[in-house]
Amino acid sequence: MLVDAIRAEGFRLSKNRTALFWSLMFVPIIMLVIGAVTNFVLKGSETKILGDEKMPPELKEALARGTLDLADALVTAAGNFANPLLLLFVLIGAATIYAGDYRWETWRLISARNSRGNLLLAKLAVVAILALAAMAFMLVASLAENLIKAAVFERTLTFGMTGDKALQFLGFTGLSWLRILQFTMMGMLAAVLTRSLLAALFVPLVFGVAQFFTPQMLAPMGVMPDAWLSVLVNPGAATDVVQAVIKGGVEAAALPDGLVLKAWTSLALWTLIPLAGALAWFRRQDLSKE
Amino acid sequence: MTAVIETPVIQVVGLTKTYGTVRALDGLDLSIPRGGVYGVLGPNGAGKSTLFRILLGLIRASDGTASIMNGPVGDIAHMRLTGSMIETPRYPPYLTARQVLRWLALEHGIAGTADIPYWLERVGLAEAADRRVRGFSVGMMQRLGVAAALISKPELIILDEPTSGMDPPGIQEMRALIRSLANDDGLTVVLASHQLLEVQRVCDRVAILNKGKLVREGAVSELTAVGERLRLSAGPIDKVLAVLGAKGVRDGEAALADIPRAEGPALIRALVEAGIDISEARWVGTDLEAIFFTETGAVQAPETIHAG
Repeated sequence: MLVDAIRAEGFRLSKNRTALFWSLMFVPIIMLVIGAVTNFVLKGSETKILGDEKMPPELKEALARGTLDLADALVTAAGNFANPLLLLFVLIGAATIYAGDYRWETWRLISARNSRGNLLLAKLAVVAILALAAMAFMLVASLAENLIKAAVFERTLTFGMTGDKALQFLGFTGLSWLRILQFTMMGMLAAVLTRSLLAALFVPLVFGVAQFFTPQMLAPMGVMPDAWLSVLVNPGAATDVVQAVIKGGVEAAALPDGLVLKAWTSLALWTLIPLAGALAWFRRQDLSKE
Repeated sequence: MTAVIETPVIQVVGLTKTYGTVRALDGLDLSIPRGGVYGVLGPNGAGKSTLFRILLGLIRASDGTASIMNGPVGDIAHMRLTGSMIETPRYPPYLTARQVLRWLALEHGIAGTADIPYWLERVGLAEAADRRVRGFSVGMMQRLGVAAALISKPELIILDEPTSGMDPPGIQEMRALIRSLANDDGLTVVLASHQLLEVQRVCDRVAILNKGKLVREGAVSELTAVGERLRLSAGPIDKVLAVLGAKGVRDGEAALADIPRAEGPALIRALVEAGIDISEARWVGTDLEAIFFTETGAVQAPETIHAG
C-alpha cells in the first residue's frame, strides 16, 4: 500500500511541470551558464597573461599544458550538492508535495484510500527521489561545464576515478542527500503543523540561516564548537565534520576524539525528530479544513 | 425504487462530535442498510457533513462508535470499499480530468487505465477528459468528483451535495446516474442534499437530522404516505361528497377523500356506478419538504402540500 501511495504521489509530481522545472532544471541551468561565462572570461585573462612578454616562460608553459580530471570534477560537485541555491529550489518542489493537499483541499480525496502514515511517507519518498534527481541534474551540469572548460582552455580530459575518489564521491553524495532531506523534513513538519505551503518553504530556510549563526551565539556562553550542545544544535557543523572524515587526510586526523559520534548523532536526530513529529501530528490531525 | 435491506453498510451508535461548546453531533444513532439510495437531510449545522467526515476518517468523533462496511472507521481495508465526494471537490489545478482519475486510481492500487474513459463518459466528461481542471466549472468539478469516487469500484458511495452548482439538465443527469448506480451497478449510495424534491425523487430511504440528532428515519414512500388523501376532480361535486360521506371534504372544485390507498379502486368504481364523471383522481400527501420543515422546525415558505 505504501508503494501505491508512492506511485500516486510520483505520478502527480510528474505532471507538475512548474515544480519540476524549478526544482530540477533551474539551478543546473544557471550554474552551467555562470560556469561557461566564467570560463570564457578567464580564458580572456589567460590569453592576456600568455601574451605578456614579462611573464616567465615556465609559468606560461604550465598554464598552457594543464589537464582536467573529470573524476575530480565529479567529487567536487558531489561535495557541493547541498549548496543553498539548490536547497532552496528543491525545497520549492518539496513544499508543493508536502503542503499541496492542504492547499488544494485534496486530502478528502485520498484519506480513505490509504493510511495516513503511508500517505505522508510516500511524500517523503517522492521528495527523496526528487532530491536525487536534482543532484543528478547538477552532476550533468557540472560535467557539461567541465567539458566547456576543457574546450575553452584546450585542456586534455582525463578520468582518474580511483577507489578512494569513488568512495569520496559516494560519501559526499549520500551526505548531501541526507542534508537536503533534513531540510525538506523540516518543511514536512512545518506543512503538517501549519497547513501552509509558504511555511513549508520558509521554515527550513529560516532554520538554515539560524544554524549559520549558532556558533557565534554559543561562543559567548562558553560552549566550545566540539561540545555536544554545539554539534547537536547545529547539524550544519555536524555535516562539515562528516565531510572531513569522508575527505580524509590531515583534516580528518585533526578532528577531536568523539566529535564524529556527536556529528552522526546530530544528523540522525535532525533527520528523525521532524519525521516522527510530522507523522505523529498528521495521524491525529483534523483534515476537514485543509 | 427498491430498497434491499441487508447488513448495514454504515452503523453509528451514540456518535458525538463537539467543536468547543458546539455539539455538531449529539449522540447520533443511525443504521444505513445495504442497497438503494439513502438520503441524509437536515438544515445547515444539522451534522450531515460532520457525520460524513467522521465516516471517511477526516475527523475523529468525540464519543460513540461508527463502522463502515462492517469495519471500524479508520480501518483502511474497509474504508477502501467506499468512494466519496465531500462538498465541492477540488483538485491539483495542473492535472487534467483523466490524470485526476489516474492519480486516484494509483492511490488505490489500480495500475490499469481501462476504466477511466468509461467513468468519464458516464459522468458526461468524456469531451473534457484532457482539459486541465483549473478551467472546470463547479458542475464539472462535481461530475469529476463522482467519477473519482467511483474509479476504485466501491460498494458504497457517499456523496455530499452531489448536485450543488449544477444546472437543471445536469441535476437531471446526476439523478439518473445515482439511480443507475444503485439499480444497475448494485452500489449503496448515501447522499446529503438540501434539494428536498431531488431527494424525494431519487432516494429509497431518508434520515432527517437536526442539531446533531436523528429526528426521523424511514422509507420515502412510507414517510410521504402519512396523511395521504385521494383528490378527485369530478362532478357534480355535491354528488361526489354525498358518496364520500364523512370521509370527504371539499377542496375548491374538487373533493378530498380520506381513505387508505387500498380502497381507492373500489371508491372509483362506486363513483362511476353513481353516474359521476371523473376527470382526474390522484393521491396527494405530505411531501418530504413538509416533513423536513415539521421535524426540523425550520421556517417554511407557503405551499407545503404537493401532488404525490
